[in-house]
Amino acid sequence: MRDRHLKYLFVLPALVLVLVTSFWPLLQSFWLSFREWKLSRARESRPLWEPEFDGWETWPYLLENYQRALEDDLLWNSVQVTTTFMFASVIVSVGLALGLALLLAPGGKFRLTVRTLLILPFAMSPALIGISWRFMFQPDFGLFQAVFGAVVPGLADVDWLGDPTFALIAIIGSDVWHWTPYLTLVFIGGLANVPRDAQEAAMIDGASSWRVFVDVTLPALIPVLAVGIILKSIFSLKMFDQVYMLTNGGPGNATQTLAHYIYFHGFKYYDMGYASAVSYLLVIPMLGLTWLYMKLVFLKR
Amino acid sequence: MGNSIRKQVADLFQFALILCAAVVILVPIYWIASGAFKQQVDVFQLKLLFTPTLANFNEIFRSPYNLHEKLLNSTLVAGTTVIVAIPMATMAAYSFSRFRLRFERTMFLMILSTQFVPAVVIVLPYFLLFRDLGLLDTRLALVLVNLSLILPFAIWMIKGFIDGIPLDTEEAALVDGSSRLQVIWNIVLPMALPGILTAAIFCFILAWNEFLFAVIITNSKAVTMPVGLSLFHAEEGVLWHLISAAGILIMLPMFGLAMIIQKHFVQGMTLGAVR
Repeated sequence: MRDRHLKYLFVLPALVLVLVTSFWPLLQSFWLSFREWKLSRARESRPLWEPEFDGWETWPYLLENYQRALEDDLLWNSVQVTTTFMFASVIVSVGLALGLALLLAPGGKFRLTVRTLLILPFAMSPALIGISWRFMFQPDFGLFQAVFGAVVPGLADVDWLGDPTFALIAIIGSDVWHWTPYLTLVFIGGLANVPRDAQEAAMIDGASSWRVFVDVTLPALIPVLAVGIILKSIFSLKMFDQVYMLTNGGPGNATQTLAHYIYFHGFKYYDMGYASAVSYLLVIPMLGLTWLYMKLVFLKR
Repeated sequence: MGNSIRKQVADLFQFALILCAAVVILVPIYWIASGAFKQQVDVFQLKLLFTPTLANFNEIFRSPYNLHEKLLNSTLVAGTTVIVAIPMATMAAYSFSRFRLRFERTMFLMILSTQFVPAVVIVLPYFLLFRDLGLLDTRLALVLVNLSLILPFAIWMIKGFIDGIPLDTEEAALVDGSSRLQVIWNIVLPMALPGILTAAIFCFILAWNEFLFAVIITNSKAVTMPVGLSLFHAEEGVLWHLISAAGILIMLPMFGLAMIIQKHFVQGMTLGAVR
């Protein structure tokens, strides 16, 4: 077989699979977003899980889902929760990771051992992290409450998961724990590319280590930092697993992220058309971030 | 002299900070791991010393929890996903690495960008499709959706490894009259094998930890380990000691696998943005 056929034949299975498993559902949910599918009607006719039932109503539904979405205060609440969560988790995890990367970059046996530990949180299932954190934030026997209460007396009586603000902090905390070690490894990789002689030259010129960091190290790190920030933003925007396991959106809707809101409407109320419409609120910023990321990653090639 | 003391203090300070970070990473893992060996009464106390027991591991495999079924589901789903995805990914990666293709960039970006599509968006149509096909709560359905999750990573990682294999041997063999398929089978695959295994392990971890698809598409027969975590309830409340025991079974194998592929773990997730 000639290469010019073979090379396309080789790409074909993967391409078809991606088109079928990712692009088809994307288009399909766009189509769904203009229709209505309600559990209420499903009950009247046949059980929901029975294949014959067609709960769809199209005309004259067109933009109703979108209109409803824009008028729903709870949706705007989840947009706000997602945004707060995203900014907080990105800033804290990237900041901590940068500091930790600088501390661990020099090498040596002790530092290399700690570096190995950094893999662990990221290999852990986010759902397990979520439920573990719920365990540790329990009011009477939770580890975190005991520890934080011992360090800061004011925190001793806080019901972490029962308070809107503290519940959000708990989720941010679990996510920072999950991501910071990973981002640290990414940044350590970036630090290896910082020109050593430029750093040393600045040191010899008598610059303080702070000035060396700001003038030499940081500029060289910016591409890697950007990759880390965008990647973390993308995954923060999709945040679901820990919310589901740790607070399930509560108390009330205080920690309900967009992904959780969509899940709730799609699979608790079985309001599929509406959930699809809302999901496009999530797709749009994601497209922007993905485009940025791809540009960054492929610009240098 | 003053300078060297200052340096020693700074070193000590750094050492302390790093130690703190290590403790913060390890304590939650330790707490879950130790919970698995506690009796239920000990879970509700913050004692550091307790009489360890293996009874929890016995109980999670019995009715009504039957965790071995979930363990089997997780293993089969993640395993099948990887076995289907890796050959496909290797073929595509080879083509992207060695040939000029029409629309190469577009195809490549299209495949890679799918890893950023929010799972909650594509699961809606999947749910309805699987419902129509009668595939809800089956392992097959989970394998299908997991493929969409891991294929971009697999292609990217394997392409990176094939890029690193020098062209000369391949070209020499082609000149000697070997066919392209022979070259791939006899030369490229053996050289790329460590990389392909690395990608397979990475993808296995992703599929094993996947939660959103599983929680929506399964409800009893095909439930995976992470979803199974929410099963441990009783009248007296949440059974944390059993959750911890199940948690160990979820995390320990993945820790082992992640250690094997240490260095590449970072590259896989960033699509090689960081080398």
